[in-house]
Amino acid sequence: MVPARSAEPPPRIVSIWFPDWPVTAAGFGADVTAAVMGANRVIARTAAAAAEGVVIGHRRRQAQRRCPHATLVDRDIDRDAREFEPVVRGIAELSPRLDVVEPGWISLLARGPARYFGGDQALVDRLSEQLIEAITAAGTPATAVGIGVADGRFASSVAARLAARRVDALIVEPGASPTFCADLPIGWLQTLGECNAELIELFGRLGLRRLGDLAALSATDVLGRFGHPGVHAHRLASGADVRPTSTTDPAPERRLDHVLDAPAAQSSAVVFIAKQLADELAGTLAADGRVCTRLVVVLESEHGERSERSWYRSAGLSAAAMVERVRWQLDAWINLPRGSDQELTGGVALVRLVPDEVRADDGMQLGLWGGQSEADRQAARAIARLTTLTSDDAVTVPVWHGGRLPADRYRWVPAAMVDLDGRARAVSGAGTGSGPTGPWPGTLPSPSPATVFTEPHPAELLDEHGEAVRVSARSMLSGRPAILLLLTGDEATGWQRGRPRRIAAWAGPWPIEERWWEPGRQRRLARFQVVTDDGDGFLVVAEHRRWWISARYD
Amino acid sequence: MELAVELPSELSALAERVAPLALAGERTLPVAAAFAELFPERGLVRGRTLACAGQAATSLALALAAPAVAAGSWLATIDVPTIGLDAASEFGIPLERVVAVRAEAARWPDVVAAAADGFDLLIARVPAELSPSAMRKVATRLRQRDVVMLVLGDPGALSCDGVLDADDVEWVGLGNGHGHLQHRRLVVEASGRRLHGRRRCRLALPG
Repeated sequence: MVPARSAEPPPRIVSIWFPDWPVTAAGFGADVTAAVMGANRVIARTAAAAAEGVVIGHRRRQAQRRCPHATLVDRDIDRDAREFEPVVRGIAELSPRLDVVEPGWISLLARGPARYFGGDQALVDRLSEQLIEAITAAGTPATAVGIGVADGRFASSVAARLAARRVDALIVEPGASPTFCADLPIGWLQTLGECNAELIELFGRLGLRRLGDLAALSATDVLGRFGHPGVHAHRLASGADVRPTSTTDPAPERRLDHVLDAPAAQSSAVVFIAKQLADELAGTLAADGRVCTRLVVVLESEHGERSERSWYRSAGLSAAAMVERVRWQLDAWINLPRGSDQELTGGVALVRLVPDEVRADDGMQLGLWGGQSEADRQAARAIARLTTLTSDDAVTVPVWHGGRLPADRYRWVPAAMVDLDGRARAVSGAGTGSGPTGPWPGTLPSPSPATVFTEPHPAELLDEHGEAVRVSARSMLSGRPAILLLLTGDEATGWQRGRPRRIAAWAGPWPIEERWWEPGRQRRLARFQVVTDDGDGFLVVAEHRRWWISARYD
Repeated sequence: MELAVELPSELSALAERVAPLALAGERTLPVAAAFAELFPERGLVRGRTLACAGQAATSLALALAAPAVAAGSWLATIDVPTIGLDAASEFGIPLERVVAVRAEAARWPDVVAAAADGFDLLIARVPAELSPSAMRKVATRLRQRDVVMLVLGDPGALSCDGVLDADDVEWVGLGNGHGHLQHRRLVVEASGRRLHGRRRCRLALPG
């Protein structure tokens, strides 16, 4: 009953891709230097900014250094979706069955419209005319657009991205997708978000640098070695479709709708209902081990107007992603120009979510709750706010540095200069006496001091006779430490001694000799742990015949 | 017809453990079992300000914060540049969710208010020169945002919901010229207007 996966040729797909859509949506033309920032990184920039050297993935600082006069705006996904709506409507006039993958990226089945317009080339010409018309009518700045036609979603998406870099569309002949894919670098799998970076890195290390190299392996070997993500990559590399098209139709009860007894005039009320439906839908699908890849959202108003749109995401739509799409669609509907067909004139009376394409969830999703939790997003926002409130260097995050003294082991780096998403690897939990990179010989055993003075406090360590304890070059002590004194004041006015504290227990010296080969930076010091008779623990350091308290175990 | 989905109990337990969002609705942040005795609610009640005092105040604050940060909350330290990150990490705090903020005294209430919007836990030192009225605003903001603030040192004009006093420290492991610090035994005493009666517990703490 289930057809063989490879027997079915992938459908022919047209992909339309606007490179740097967020910056176009923000209203910047190609000749203005501007970039859109997301999570402190450039996610889109205009052609003019690209010419100045602003690269996607740059931090804010780097972008400003390359191009100081560039306008940097924050990402606003709702704005992207809203501005994209006229384009979607323009294309829908030619081919109503289209999937919006994300704002700036549309895919549609080529077969029907191509036959109607007389071939792929004719369809592409018609589409680009329609696009130019829609963009000028909406007043969006002119922008580059790539149109790609190929068998299968993946090949067509790559073709569209390649086409965006040249003038004309890129049409891969029917049946030529495998050869088209074979020459592509393997990194395309990551660019299109089909595989994670670790897998691509692994492929690269194994010498699989082109998709053709991967496709040449047998699918069973790939499954055995890399599991489902590997099979997915293999399938794409061999020019097959992103996923085998759903072999079984989703059962009709999966269609969820909600009729509002009192039509909702507030968009938040509609979104609230959509959230309940999406949670239920994602929940029932997940209980079957399935995930929805194409979702049709239908909204109807009390006056009978209707908005229907199909949303596609190859990694599957989570409940939150579904709600987001409902919100985009609703927002676009509300902002339809006056007098247009299907303009919303009343409250929304019906919300319907139809899972149009469902597949088995083979673990492509990043995590059950997504890669970034709500707490992470809130914290990122708060960090941005705190940075504006104080200054860049007043809001800092720790970065592993390494060293034998507690104060050397981490550096505080301005949060604005750090990519907060990808930090887990940079400072992951340093274990007992060892940093993220493994053990660090010569560090003090755990527990570590809870208070580490960035500037060590001057102190004095005396023996029973009140003489200062000296540490010889061979790490011998002149006497047993008996009294610890804190010094206050400074070099110029002379030191004042604090209250003497009797030492109850001590150990040391643990010498460190650092960079003895480098005259300017060499250090030679001895560390002691000291506990006073009232129970306070200190890390005391002797250097240059002087004593310092470098940390406190409090 | 209702499609009821029954999750296996281990799965729902796992979901509870890994989902930081599930905690947001609850009123408390988790604490280690040894500290649960100190609080009638057996956890850090969101929206409260607790002063950590005594010889092991900093370690106590880190140990209290650790389970919540490990579960996905973010921790901001305000005006505590001396925080020992190795110690924090040994208590189980993932350092990628720690942010340190330095604030001038005049801006301190604003900074705390802004931090309260994005962080579940704050460890702060309070500047002495702030007025009680500014402090009341801070306390209200923390309550509204369901943030737990652990105050180190003198809370000044800020009125705290409770005081946790970590004292009577006895270090184990360090001898007279030999050994090294291993752990310590101490007594933590909780008191204050929101912590009924005096609760004491004796526990061992590293760091």
